[in-house]
Amino acid sequence: MSAPAITERSPRSRPGHRRNGSEARAGILLAAPFLLLFAVFTLWPVIQSMFMSFTDTRVSDIRSPFSVNFVAFDNYIKALSDPVFRRAALNTGVFVVVGVPLTIAAGLAAALALDKGITRFRGVYRVGFYTPVITSIVAVAVVWRFLLQPDSGLVNTVLGYVGITGPNWLGDTRTSLLSLIAMATWRNFGTGMIIFLAGLQSVPWNLHEAASLDGASSWQRFWNITLPLLRPTMLFVLVTTTIGYLQFFEEPFVMTQGGPLNSTISASMYTYQQFGFGNYGVAGAMAYLTFVVIVVVTIIQFRLTREK
Amino acid sequence: MKNRMRTAAALTALLALVGMSACGRDAGGDTTNAPSQQAVDTGKATGTLTMWAMGTEGDKLPDLVKKFEADNPDVKVEVTAIPWNSAHDKFTAAIAAGTTPDLAMIGTTWMGEFVGLKALDPTPEMIDPSKFFEGAQATTVVQDTSYGVPWYVETRLVFYRTDIAKKAGITEAPTTWEGLHDMAKAMQDKGGSKWGISLQPGQTGSWQTVVPFMWSNGGEIVNKDMTAFTFDDPKNVEALKYYQSFFTDGIANKAPAQGTTEADFASGAAPMFISGPWMMASVETAGGAGFADKYDVALMPKKEISASFVGGSNLGVFKSTENRDAAWKLVDFLTTDTTQVEWFGMSTDLPSVQSAWDDESLKSDAKLAKFGTQLKTAFAPPPVQTWEQVSASFDAQVEKVTKTGTDPGEALKTVQQEATSIGMG
Repeated sequence: MSAPAITERSPRSRPGHRRNGSEARAGILLAAPFLLLFAVFTLWPVIQSMFMSFTDTRVSDIRSPFSVNFVAFDNYIKALSDPVFRRAALNTGVFVVVGVPLTIAAGLAAALALDKGITRFRGVYRVGFYTPVITSIVAVAVVWRFLLQPDSGLVNTVLGYVGITGPNWLGDTRTSLLSLIAMATWRNFGTGMIIFLAGLQSVPWNLHEAASLDGASSWQRFWNITLPLLRPTMLFVLVTTTIGYLQFFEEPFVMTQGGPLNSTISASMYTYQQFGFGNYGVAGAMAYLTFVVIVVVTIIQFRLTREK
Repeated sequence: MKNRMRTAAALTALLALVGMSACGRDAGGDTTNAPSQQAVDTGKATGTLTMWAMGTEGDKLPDLVKKFEADNPDVKVEVTAIPWNSAHDKFTAAIAAGTTPDLAMIGTTWMGEFVGLKALDPTPEMIDPSKFFEGAQATTVVQDTSYGVPWYVETRLVFYRTDIAKKAGITEAPTTWEGLHDMAKAMQDKGGSKWGISLQPGQTGSWQTVVPFMWSNGGEIVNKDMTAFTFDDPKNVEALKYYQSFFTDGIANKAPAQGTTEADFASGAAPMFISGPWMMASVETAGGAGFADKYDVALMPKKEISASFVGGSNLGVFKSTENRDAAWKLVDFLTTDTTQVEWFGMSTDLPSVQSAWDDESLKSDAKLAKFGTQLKTAFAPPPVQTWEQVSASFDAQVEKVTKTGTDPGEALKTVQQEATSIGMG
């Protein structure tokens, strides 16, 4: 009972200092629910999984998660020397290097078209381009599997009209990853488009007007006015798309299960499989390797697109 | 700034603590010495029971246990239906947290893992293990002790189109390896089908078709005392070579589109395949009215024996149960032949109890009866804790063998190597 009495009296004795103290206490009190949830559901799993990646934890240890052996970097070495994981890393790399520019280009093109070119039914197009983003991947996968079917699929039927025998898109190791990249681009460019559209609206019209009075072509204006002013938008889209693509998982998971012959398995998916097998240590190490790559790539992107 | 440093210090301390408390496993961790099989009392079951079941079984089971509740007025059974795709995670989480149900339907390939987690109660003597199909009963046995019972079973047979076979000049189902190969070839050459047979070219679950051929050839994938894998056994290599021949001879499609087996069977594009009893309903839906007369099923072809894969689900009682006697009584009720026949009528799940197959409802269907015959020589993979991972490695090599023509001997050597390094858990 004595504690409240002290707080009652304290503001009078040393007003300035005490108020700060009680404000801080109130702040901590108000933030406590969040901090507690954050610590239990975010921080703790992160620490636990990092701990796990340095031990030989397996599914049989779940009842006694701390009585496991510390193995230092063994899991990391195991992951890096696993040919399937290396293949998965390579696939992920190709997916990012090809997929990210494609997605950004498609998003920017769609945004420019909606901003300038298309004037009628603009809303319809905007919704149409954005729909794939919010559609369930499972439904999308079914449709794409139909489209890409070797004998009766729409893609190969159309190719057949012009005399080309289309490949077995998902069944051939040479085209399977490309098919998934095409699908991911189609599915994700809508997000970039919406953000670019907002960015384009902040490009002042008078700059364009002045440039065109000086005789700049529309291509020159795009290159020298629109693009530089879109730099912060571009950075945001680039970083979020890259992070998303570095963790790509759903496409191979629902379309190919990583096949044929591991040609579409991704780092995230292989990590998921290792968790499923109960190899928590190795899976944790793989997840942290992916995390490190994401951090490094993001830092590089920030450096490269920084305002000069 | 000061605050941030303090947080950092606290974190480091926490990490150090976590690190220190993690100083190694208990030396004698695996002391599963002779599990006790206490007898179950013979009175009526009492108290409440919670039971987990997956898929359609979970939906339909409440109706079946009503009879058990009627027989035992003091017992209350609560069935929780859980979806298949999250079931395994739910079980492992419940085992870790000690919140398992009293009893549950358990996938046959999880037995090794759950017993390894010391979660299951050994089967008491009140249940006679010899009443079940041998291959199915074997899925409950880990290190010579049975932990549960087979509840329902399924096995794989050769499905073939009788009308196309007739066109190809074949009137009787093949009984040998050569016979199956020749028939598939004839279906393609004379029957006018695009492919002779639809077989899975690797990828998830292909071992369920390939390993039976190894058993058929007298091969085994683990040694007798379950201490080492024997994938590279010459008999296994020979079986994989046989499987590969369907692909190298152009009889089976190396890159079939997903989920087209039923449609291709109905259209005649691939007039044969190897699969389980659920396919009967699927192909009859795909083929339309009267299709049931256009196909038949045949036992797996023989080399040394006619071997197939046995699947299905087991029933297990969890060690943490506080109502062990009633739980086993419910298991006993679910595996009497009359309940099994009744359950077949409700769910079309095939009985695991052999005597249930003498019932008219199962005997009168000629196709179904063949599944009953095959079940006598249908086997399951050994209850190895790491089976999911080992089988994934196997499936990956089968894919190489069928699609790129990798030498079966080399492929199985790789499987053997990978399986050995994965270990048995």
